[in-house]
Amino acid sequence: MKFKFLIALLAVFSLVAAACGDDDADTGAGDSGGTESGGDGAGLDIDAILAADLDACETAPTGDPIKVGMAMDFSDVVGFVDIPGSKLVPYIAELANCNGGINGRPVEVQVAEVGDDASLAAQELLDWGAHFLIGPPFADFALPILQATEGNVPLFVAASTEPTLADASINSWLVTFDDNLMAAAAAQWALDNGITRAILFTEGEGVPYTGVNPDAFKAHFEANGGTVVSEQTYVWAADTDFSAQVNEIAGISENNEIVYSAALGFQVTALRGQLEGQGLDGLTYAGTDALDATGIQFEDNNEGIVHTPHVSIAAGDRNDAMLAGYEAAKGEALESRGFMPLYVDSMFLGIQAMLDCGCDDPSQIGDAVAAISGFEGLSGTITYAGTNGIPPKAVPINQIVGGEDTLVDTIG
Amino acid sequence: MIELLQNLIDGLGRGSIYALLALGVAVIFGVMHLLNFAHGELITVGGYAAYAASNQGWSWYVITPLIIVCAVGASLLIERIAFSRVRGASDFTLLLTSFGVHFVVSAIFLLYVSASVKTFSRPRWVTNTYSVGSLNIEVFDTVVIVVTVITLLATTWLLQRTMFGLALRGAAADFDTARLMGVKSDSVIRGAFALSGLLAGIAGVFWLMRSGSTTPSAGIDPMLSGVLAALIGGLGSLRGAVLGGFVLGLAEVLLRSRLPDGIAPLTDGVVFVLIALLFIFRPQGLITVAHAERV
Repeated sequence: MKFKFLIALLAVFSLVAAACGDDDADTGAGDSGGTESGGDGAGLDIDAILAADLDACETAPTGDPIKVGMAMDFSDVVGFVDIPGSKLVPYIAELANCNGGINGRPVEVQVAEVGDDASLAAQELLDWGAHFLIGPPFADFALPILQATEGNVPLFVAASTEPTLADASINSWLVTFDDNLMAAAAAQWALDNGITRAILFTEGEGVPYTGVNPDAFKAHFEANGGTVVSEQTYVWAADTDFSAQVNEIAGISENNEIVYSAALGFQVTALRGQLEGQGLDGLTYAGTDALDATGIQFEDNNEGIVHTPHVSIAAGDRNDAMLAGYEAAKGEALESRGFMPLYVDSMFLGIQAMLDCGCDDPSQIGDAVAAISGFEGLSGTITYAGTNGIPPKAVPINQIVGGEDTLVDTIG
Repeated sequence: MIELLQNLIDGLGRGSIYALLALGVAVIFGVMHLLNFAHGELITVGGYAAYAASNQGWSWYVITPLIIVCAVGASLLIERIAFSRVRGASDFTLLLTSFGVHFVVSAIFLLYVSASVKTFSRPRWVTNTYSVGSLNIEVFDTVVIVVTVITLLATTWLLQRTMFGLALRGAAADFDTARLMGVKSDSVIRGAFALSGLLAGIAGVFWLMRSGSTTPSAGIDPMLSGVLAALIGGLGSLRGAVLGGFVLGLAEVLLRSRLPDGIAPLTDGVVFVLIALLFIFRPQGLITVAHAERV
């Protein structure tokens, strides 16, 4: 009797174990396979969504909505990306719904302006029932949002490269490479092109973005045989008169250095003009994603300037088609084009995680985000599995060649 | 030694722009006791005018007067819409109003134009240099200094040799007594705003030629520089404002160049510490102004 009971117990245990094993397979290999096969995990076909025709929609989805919360900054601090991002994501949701929704579920997007209180905006979205959030770059905005989520709801910091904002343990995810990788890629490009001397412009060691990027550039450049011959300071987004720095550089330059900074486009061209005015016309200028954000492509005297955009958009590719589609539908061209795929990917990553876990609980969605591997998004391949929230993406190196913003290399 | 001379010229160039901005601030303060934190918005307006004109392919020969006209127009419009409503109110009310104008103008450009940086072509000659011995002098600095000197001489003539100048100086010394003497307050105040806008417009031309860009908050830096320079020189003193502008410009360039590398990122902080020290020892600024308080 005891033996039969033991057999029965073992049988029950085996069934339970088998059932658990199936679940594991669903959230692990099976889902990873889906994402690895091109972002087309069950129910998420990015290309089909982007191809939806708003004039000929399928039957409207009637399931429980997938709720996407966007806490966005509309000021002139990061409004240059958050304003167009908060317009594009609802449009993509519109396309997804037009395409029949996600497994019959409509996608709803609610945008809350962070204003002076990002945590209040985040709380508003949480109260609405957001399954995951998309937030603005910069710690000033993102950290209060993380306080509101208390690590229980995934936050995609769409346009941020700030490494300190990524933390898988509190459900905070970058959607792109971080400052360290971005700057190291620029340094590697310089070394690959035979440039071994560098002049850096920084706001100070360790200063988020404006100091961290030059720090990371220096670390990689010097570790691989380069020499930083001068480090100059400046005020980011403000200085356009570099007379004092130029005088100093003129005394030490061999007219063959790379000038690297996280400065904005108009600052780099102003600096270049002053350096060239002193006869230093052999320098190479390189910068971060800030150059893409501030339209280096449209500046005068931009020939040869190198930068690291998040996405190098070519005429006719699917990002270009997506942005053209928005313009055609809404009658408005979006700015900061290279950043827009990051916002759309943020939404797709959250949805992919929901599909992977088959759940609506934000905490479980967060666990599924942490397991995403090989997701083929609009901005490249994104993997969170085994990371602390920074996807190890390749860095595009763009250069203005013949007046055109051209992808000249991809590093990483 | 060469680098020091180079820095002095650069500092005078930068200080010239600050002097023009500070003079505009001082003119308004003299008449209304208003520390106008909306002064930088005149450059913001000029910046967007330059952006629009540049997009149309207009040259800087056209853009230059356009910026000045826009700055004068914006200054008069702001006076009409905002400051005329609170004329006679307390200094604090005027101060808050100027902050309000700053935020409203900024928000208008943010909402109806863009949050992004808008760039436009700089004139080719801005970064050209010429040599004097071992010195490489920027043509831009030379032009800025010359134009500033001419502008200051013209402003001095306007204030010293015309009826408008006499009325303005009278109002600055004692507004109520000036009114009793027959000075028309509306004309004087509008004239002061027009003059302030003209000075901001001229400064704005150079500021924008150098930056080649504008944003909704582009006016903050020039406003801060102008207000600081006016404070350094002594609020209410026109000569002090000009002196303050040159002192601030020279201090910025010399400190940026001379501070040890380790503390070079703190240049702006050091400038503010020096200004704080100045106010400890000379709270009235470099030049003392004696005038009646408004009641």
